[in-house]
Formats: sequence, C-alpha cells, structure tokens
Amino acid sequence: MSSRVLPQFDLLEPRNVADVIALLSQHENQVSVLAGGTDLLVWAYIEKNKTPYVLSLSAIEGLDHLDYVAGEGLRIGAKVKVAQLLKHPDVAKHYPALYQAAENFATPQIRNMATVMGNVLRASPAGDCSCAILALGAKVVLQGPAGQRLVDIDDFWVSYGVTERQPDELAVELRIDDTSSSTCSAFQRLTRVHEDLSKLNVAVRLEMDQDTCKQARIAMGCVGPTPLRLKKTERLLTGAKISAELLQQVAAAAREEVTPIDDQRSTAEYRRQVSGVILKRVIEQAVAKS
Amino acid sequence: MNAKTYVGQSVPKLDAREKATGQAIYAADLNLPGMLYGKIVRCRDFAHAKVLKLDLSEAAQVPGVVKVLGPKDVTQKRYNSGVLDLMVSEGLGEVLGDIEDQHIFTDYVRHQGDAICGIIAESEEIAEIAAQKVKVFYEALPVYLTAEDSSRPDAIQFDERKPGNRAFQLPEQMFPGNAYGWGDVDAEMAKADMVFEETFTLPKVKQCQMETHSYVAMYDQTGRLNCWTSTQMPKCVQPKLARLFDLPISRVNLVSTTIGGGFGVRLGMICEPETCAMAMAVPGRPVKVQLTREEDWLASESRHPGKYWIKLGVKMDGTPVALDARFMASTGAYFTHASGVPFTTGSWLTGMYKYGAVRYKGEAYFTNQAPSGAFRGYGNPQTNFALEQIVDRACNALNIDPVEWRKKWHKGTGDDGWCIGVPFSSCALDECLDRGAKAIGWNEKRAKYANQTGVKRRGVGVSVMNHTSGAMPMLLEHTTCTVKMNEDGSVVLMISCSDMGQGSHTVLKQIAADALGMPMDEIHILNNMDASGFDIGSHASRTTYVGGGAVIKACEDVKRQLIERASIRLGVDKEDLEFKERQVVARSDASKKLSVKEICHSGVYNFTNPANGETNGVPGQIQGYASHFPSHNSPPFGACFAEVEVDTETGEVKVLELVIAHDIGRAINPMAVEGQLEGGAHQALGMILTEETCYNDAGLCRNNSFTDYKMLGPVDMPRITTILVEQPDPIAPMGIKSVGEAGPVNPVGATANAISHALGIMFTEAPITPERVLKALNQ
Ligand SMILES: Cc1cc2nc3c(=O)[nH]c(=O)nc-3n(C[C@H](O)[C@H](O)[C@H](O)COP(=O)(O)OP(=O)(O)OC[C@H]3O[C@@H](n4cnc5c(N)ncnc54)[C@H](O)[C@@H]3O)c2cc1C
Repeated sequence: MSSRVLPQFDLLEPRNVADVIALLSQHENQVSVLAGGTDLLVWAYIEKNKTPYVLSLSAIEGLDHLDYVAGEGLRIGAKVKVAQLLKHPDVAKHYPALYQAAENFATPQIRNMATVMGNVLRASPAGDCSCAILALGAKVVLQGPAGQRLVDIDDFWVSYGVTERQPDELAVELRIDDTSSSTCSAFQRLTRVHEDLSKLNVAVRLEMDQDTCKQARIAMGCVGPTPLRLKKTERLLTGAKISAELLQQVAAAAREEVTPIDDQRSTAEYRRQVSGVILKRVIEQAVAKS
Repeated sequence: MNAKTYVGQSVPKLDAREKATGQAIYAADLNLPGMLYGKIVRCRDFAHAKVLKLDLSEAAQVPGVVKVLGPKDVTQKRYNSGVLDLMVSEGLGEVLGDIEDQHIFTDYVRHQGDAICGIIAESEEIAEIAAQKVKVFYEALPVYLTAEDSSRPDAIQFDERKPGNRAFQLPEQMFPGNAYGWGDVDAEMAKADMVFEETFTLPKVKQCQMETHSYVAMYDQTGRLNCWTSTQMPKCVQPKLARLFDLPISRVNLVSTTIGGGFGVRLGMICEPETCAMAMAVPGRPVKVQLTREEDWLASESRHPGKYWIKLGVKMDGTPVALDARFMASTGAYFTHASGVPFTTGSWLTGMYKYGAVRYKGEAYFTNQAPSGAFRGYGNPQTNFALEQIVDRACNALNIDPVEWRKKWHKGTGDDGWCIGVPFSSCALDECLDRGAKAIGWNEKRAKYANQTGVKRRGVGVSVMNHTSGAMPMLLEHTTCTVKMNEDGSVVLMISCSDMGQGSHTVLKQIAADALGMPMDEIHILNNMDASGFDIGSHASRTTYVGGGAVIKACEDVKRQLIERASIRLGVDKEDLEFKERQVVARSDASKKLSVKEICHSGVYNFTNPANGETNGVPGQIQGYASHFPSHNSPPFGACFAEVEVDTETGEVKVLELVIAHDIGRAINPMAVEGQLEGGAHQALGMILTEETCYNDAGLCRNNSFTDYKMLGPVDMPRITTILVEQPDPIAPMGIKSVGEAGPVNPVGATANAISHALGIMFTEAPITPERVLKALNQ
C-alpha cells in the first residue's frame, strides 16, 4: 500500500558523467538513477526498488542531445524527454514508429518529464518508446569505469525489469539505426483509456521494394516478460509481397508466437487474439505512409 | 422589480476561481499550532480475520510517538457511519432493521483496510514509521466476495443480528411478500405473449472524488470536540459524533471545510470517528489524519455491486403486463446503506413505466469487500443498466421503436411516482425524448445502422430515467435558513447545506439575490454549524430544491418584517406596500417610500431622543428565518441518447456522442445544470466502459489506485449535447427540479443499448470492456 512519506535516501547530484560513474562504482548496487522519475517515483516501484541512494541526472551538463545524421542514424541523449521527439522534424520524417509512440505516450505532463532512455532502462514489456526502438533497431551506449560499450537493443532486455546494464554503468545514449527512403515504420497500441500504459503495443520496420518486403522487424509489447521481436512472423514477410492474404497469415503467425499473460490491464486470451489484428493494422499503416 | 435578476443566468460558480488557482483551503491544508499527526493502522493482508494478538509496544517506543490506541483504548460504542437513523422515525428504523455494527478500532477484520489501531505522533513520518512497527497476529477466516458466497448456509455469520448474512430485505411489515410494487405479477405474467428474462451483473464502482479524506480534530480546554471535515452532511455528522462520544451537540464544533467532491462518498462519517477518538486521547492538541488514495479506496464506500435479475412480460403490441425483479446487492463489510440503496433501486424501477403489475425485491448481503454505500444516483444507475436493456430487448423482438415504446409507457403527471402514493407532479419526458431523438438523428441512424457488416459498426441507443428532488417522503426532509440583514442592507445567508462543488451555494445565492432584489455580491453565505440550524446534508438531489425553498421562505420572512416596519413608519397599510429596487414603496403614492437600507440601519442604530423619548424608526435587527419541510419531491425525468462505434476486431467501444435531454423544470443556473449532466455522463460512461474495483480470491483489492482503476480522461470523452427542457413544475419553488443525482444514470442504459444496436448482442455484465466484447463476438 502507498504511503504519504518518502523513504529515506541520500540524493546524489553529480555534475558530469565521470562523477556519475565514480559514484555508481563507489556505492555499487545501492544507487537508483533518477531521470524523469515518472517510473522511479511511482510508489509501487519505490516499494520494490528501495535503495539508500538516488542519483539524479538533473545537474549533469549535456546528455540532452537529439541529433539525426544521415548515414548514421538518430542519437538520443539520456536526458532527452519524450516530448522532444515530437518537436524534432527528423524523428517524424525518418522514424514514424518512434514519433507515433511518443505521440501516444501518456499525457503532455508525463511526456515533458519522461525520458526516452528511462523508458528503455525501465525494461517494462509495456514501454511504448521501447517497442518502437526495438522495431527500428538500435544500440544502447553504456558508460562504465572501463569506458563505453554498445549493446544491441535485441540483447539489452534480459527479463522483466532487468537489463544488460551493470550497476557501475550509466546509459548515456541511444543510437537508432539509420533508415532509408525504402524504410517504412509504424506504431500502434491498445489501452483501457487514452492515458494508460499499453495493454498491447506493436511496432514494425519494413524495408520495401515496391510492394515487396525485403526485410522486416516486428516488435510487440505486453505479450511476454520484455518487449519481444516476433522473428518467426518476420520471416513470413521477408521477400513477400504485401497482400491481404499475406497479412492474414502474418496475423495468425503472431498469435502463435506471443506469450501473453493475464494481468490487471487485460487477459492473455484477448492479447493473443488482438496481437494479430494490431500487427496487421500496423503493417498497413506503415506501408500506406511510405 | 429589480433591473437585474440572477435566476436563469449562467452565473460563474463562486468557488471556481479559488479552486482553479489552488487557493481553496481543504482540511489537508490546515496547520494548527501544536498539531499532532494520526495514522490509522489498517489490516492490509486479510479481508476476513480475527486479531489474535496486537502488540503495540515497539510502536509506542518510537521517539516522537505520543500515544498508541488499540481497540480497548477508545469508546466501545458501536456506530453506523451512515445517517439513515437520523432521517427516519425510530419505529421505521426498527422496521428497516438498521444496525450499528462498526467499531473505531476492531479485532475482527471484515474487509481489507479495516482499522486496527491508531498512532499519534509529532510528525506524519514518525506516525508511519511507528505504524510499521505494530505487530498484529491474525487468524485468517474464509473470504466471501459475493452475496451468493456469503448467503450460503455454512458461511461464517458476520453479525448475530443478521442471520444468513442478509443485512437487509424489504421488511414484510411495510412490503408484503418482501416486495415493492403493485398488482398480481404471477397472474399478469401468465397473460404475456412474450417474456424476457435476464440476470445483470453490476460492478463495484468508486466515487473517485478528487480530495482524499483528511481531517483535523481537537478536544479543547473548554470541553468541546472540534472536528474539521469535508463531509457532505455536516449537520448529521455533528449529532453522530455527539452520540458516539457522549457529548451534547453544543459541545461538538463541526467545521465544514472545502469539499473536494463528494458524489455520496462523504454521505455520513468516514474517518471522523477514528480522528476524534485520537483527539480525545490527547486533549488540547489538534490531530490531523490524512488518507492516501489507496487507503481511501479500502476504507470508504462505493456503489453497490450485485446481481440484478429482471423478467419482463409483454403483449405483442408492447403492453408491459408484468415486471418481476430482484436486486441482490453486496453491501460489503458493514451495514451502512444496506437498507437505503436496495429500496431506492426498486423505486426508480417502479417509478419508470406503467406496468400492469410489478414486484421488486431488494436485498443486501454482507461480504468481505469494502462497504458499499451512497454514490450519486443511489441505485438508479444499477436499475438503468438492467431495466433499459430488457426494455430494448423486448422492443427489438416486437419490432417496436424504443423511443416510441418509452413515450407510450413511461409514467407521467398524476401517476404514482417513485414512491407509490406520491404522484408525479409534472413530467416533461416526451419533450426530452422528442428533442433528444431529433438532436442525435435517431430515425435516420436507427435505420442506417440496422444491417452492418464492416469491421467498425455503429449503433444508437436510448435510455430514460426518473429521479427525485429531495428525500421526501421516505426520509425526514428538513432544512433551515436564516437571513441576517446587516445594518447597511447587505445580507448574511446562514445555511447548513453543503456545496460539494456542484455549485449549490452559487445557486442559493442567486435565489436569495432575486428574492431580496439585491446584487449577489452583497450577500455572504455563512456555513457555520454552530450558528445555522438543522439540515440533512447535500444528497438526494435536494440542495437547490429544498435549500432553495428555505432561502425563499426566509427571504419572505425578511420582506414581511420590512413591510411591517415601513407600514408603521410611513403610516401606510401593509397591503399597499411593495418592493421596488431595494425600497418599500406605497402603490398608491410613490413618494411614500423607505429604503431597505434605512429600515435595517435604523433597526440597529436605534436612538432614543432624550428630549421626547421618540426613536428613529422601529428598533431591532431584522433576521428572516425558515425551518422548511417541502411538501413534495417534484421528480425530474430525463432521456439520453448515445451513438457508439464498436471495433469488431478489437472489441473496443468508442462513444461518439451523447445527447442528454433533462426535465429540469426551470434552470436556475443553466451552466451549472449542464455541468452536472456532463460530469454525470463521465461517471456513467466509466461505469459502463472501464470502471470496476477488483479483488483477488483472498479479498485483497487489486486496483485501489488510478494506475489500474481507469476513469475516462478528457480525450476519451465524447461530444455531449445537453438539452434543458424547461416546463416549470407546479409545486416546486420557482418550478425547479433536480439534476445532480440524475447525471450518472441514463447514459448507462443508452450506451449499453447503443452497443447492442451496433452488434446485436446485449451485454449483461458491466463494465463492457473490449475483452468482454470480443469474447461475446467470438461466441
Ligand atoms: C501517469 C503515467 C503514465 C505513463 N504512461 C506511459 C505510456 O503511455 N507509455 C509508456 O511507455 N510509459 C508510460 N509511463 C511510464 C514512464 O513514464 C516511462 O517509462 C518513462 O519513459 C520513464 O522515463 P523517466 O525519465 O521518467 O525514468 P525514471 O523514472 O527516472 O527511471 C526509470 C528507470 O530507468 C532507470 N534509468 C533512467 N535513466 C537511466 C540512465 N541514463 N542510466 C541508467 N538507468 C537509468 C531508472 O533508474 C529507473 O529504474 C507512464 C508513467 C506515468 C506515471
């Protein structure tokens, strides 16, 4: 049950990344990194993840860059807010899936606080930006005492709430794979009311040659312990011509591939059934806009 | 008459600016010198258990803890947090079987969140830390979550006075056969050409008022118990506390703080008993108790969930020959409103249509859920869900237009109202139906959506309702008003009626301003429970109807006195005097006049001339007073139309539009009436689409917060068109009828009927979630 009183903790406010790493190493496993706090400061989360230290990123200079470089891709600093994605023309242009995820994400107030990185680090199967990023393909840049390392987004989430990040590492940047003129992508989600966590979310990235799909990445959330790639279903799309019939097969395959559960937001049975429906719609949306 | 009149104008709410800018002072904002903080320690892990041992020793030793109170450290008196006992005669109370079954702190846990003990500390933090050190050893008992479960013969008995865990059924003495209605239902049902029968399941819906419950209490040096609370019935809570703590009413100072929404949850006491008990333990020091939202959910009441069985018999021409119904409500852990809601649920049912015969049975059973109680509509949304859907099913089978059927068979002026024996004084439902149907495009859309095959299908539905304005004649219906005339002619309006945010104080001021022919900003409303007289609280959609009646009477009393005095001073017959622009003027000679201000001023500043012993004017400050018992309840009617779009692949329901036509009699403040209808629609759509408090098998609440109890947000709301149908009621003051409680009623049935129009499937269980829709479509 909730409380009106915050637990006791020491607030650390380092001014640069080097200090962050030093503090993380010093108090290994005892520090929660605070970005926007929209997950961290929710009571249910506090209760489960109490640590003696909270390290706020707010005093750090930098980490707020959001840059698109053709041929390289999109770089999202750890402090970039979800709302910023909506203001950047290159996000809308090159990464419709990410843009749509941000557009559907929570409320303006939450979007102004929540970071994109926080969404990925929360490692929730319901994360909307996470879902889009998984479909788009990305690398998470982790910085630790030994320097930086890049982890592929496909390998980043280990299990519910657990990532590849080591306790002495700070996630500093997301690098979203580049797209080309033949790339199309889209995102959709289902919620109980507009302002809610997803009960199901789906994103796709397709490399198209006319009507033919050369390559596909499908990400789906709330159908497993972490956001999932539906690799079997992707194979049906690879090299195939997009048709109503194919989409029926794709939908059926998705229903087979997902492993949803019952929870407060929906039922396993429902999620399984609509997973195919939404996937079909997302593909149609992606292709229509390309 | 005065050039400016207020009645009929959309005057902005008096408290709007204060609330929108965060200036309004709620109980939680109070900080008194020397204030202590109380924490109610609740049972978190069981819904039904005996406390075997309570160890407070460690908690008591936490530095900063002032006192810890177990069940034995407070009054042993039991109470009923509801207030029905104050509103019915003793005899009727006995017949209804209301009982006092709550303890301030208990050793028998009947629901998760039951209060075990209290901690008083120097800070809220310390109180919470100490609360965590309270050790309670429980013996778990079997958990009953529905009336069906707890009424089983082998179930543990919650209260020896209520065998079979049946808290209430309509009492035989008043309702032969334990049923409400008329005619021989069995005989009439046998004559029906077609019979429609269904059992509907109603969810446990929470009021979700914005302000979580907060209180401050202090037992002061003069022996008065002071309690700051945002209850919606201060004049009932005051005597309740007096009785609980054995004090005369004059020694209970109940301070009514800004109410951050009520919707019925503050109908009676909530945590006033615990807070006051803590304050009594530390005389001279104020104690503040603030609940979290999660706690609020567990500790305060909700709408009654339950099973609503209904059977309608009709002739081929649509004649409703008989209706048989039974509402088996789950009243939760304590009695509270166990008698009130199951009765009124039936009265809205019997009040609606001209059945040949009708038999309604209402029962309430104890369960291990948080208590059920009052929630805006008081049984009416439940009836709307069941009755309006079964009517539509009959209409569909008989191929009769649902609007036409309702126009033909609804009750109207002169028919028995919701309370059999008290006829409807007026009815504008036909106009509501006609104008509503036109606004939504009923005929065109009914036809257009008849045979759809696509993924997204639309439907339109209608629902009607009747309600009441005030609690008369079932309950005591009484309120008082004092109009104090200041020496400058400005006014203090003393009332005990609460403003929960519905705008009742604004409206009462509008009424007073017109009655006295003066500007609103020269009237002050004083809501002081020591100074003002009796009232039964802000509920039963009564405040404008009954409170307004009292205001008018008290203003008449002022005017009578003003005229009497003017008559003496002007030497003019009373009959010849009239009010004109804050003056009393002789009709026969307009030069003979006195201003209201002059009469009031000379009444206060009344000097005697030492030379001749004469005074300037008539002495005495003028106060008007009314102790008002309305003679009727002028019930309003209403029609709602909904248009929905259902996604047959995902089961999602989108409400596209609501048209709500309400029989308001006369709108004192049209904007406020619209606000009530729109806000009510928000609650109705929540109940029908998304809202339900859920429990796991152990009786622990799974969604006592907004994370997983979803109310619709702004983006989710449809376009709403409100139509105020103004046909003044012949009995009501100014022709007015109520709107507040009506709000959340008929969008329930209209939306459900629109969904079945779209899909051809009737949903018997609310909320109608995408999961349920898809499941039904698959079958
Ligand atoms: C009302 C409400 C509505 C919401 N709606 C949505 C929604 O629609 N869709 C959705 O996906 N989510 C939603 N959320 C969840 C939340 O807003 C997102 O997950 C958000 O992106 C988290 O970002 P943050 O900056 O607030 O993270 P924080 O709460 O600060 O942190 C989240 C987690 O990530 C860790 N972390 C953050 N940054 C770093 C870093 N740089 N390095 C290492 N670890 C880090 C933190 O330690 C913590 O464990 C909602 C939350 C609320 C309260």
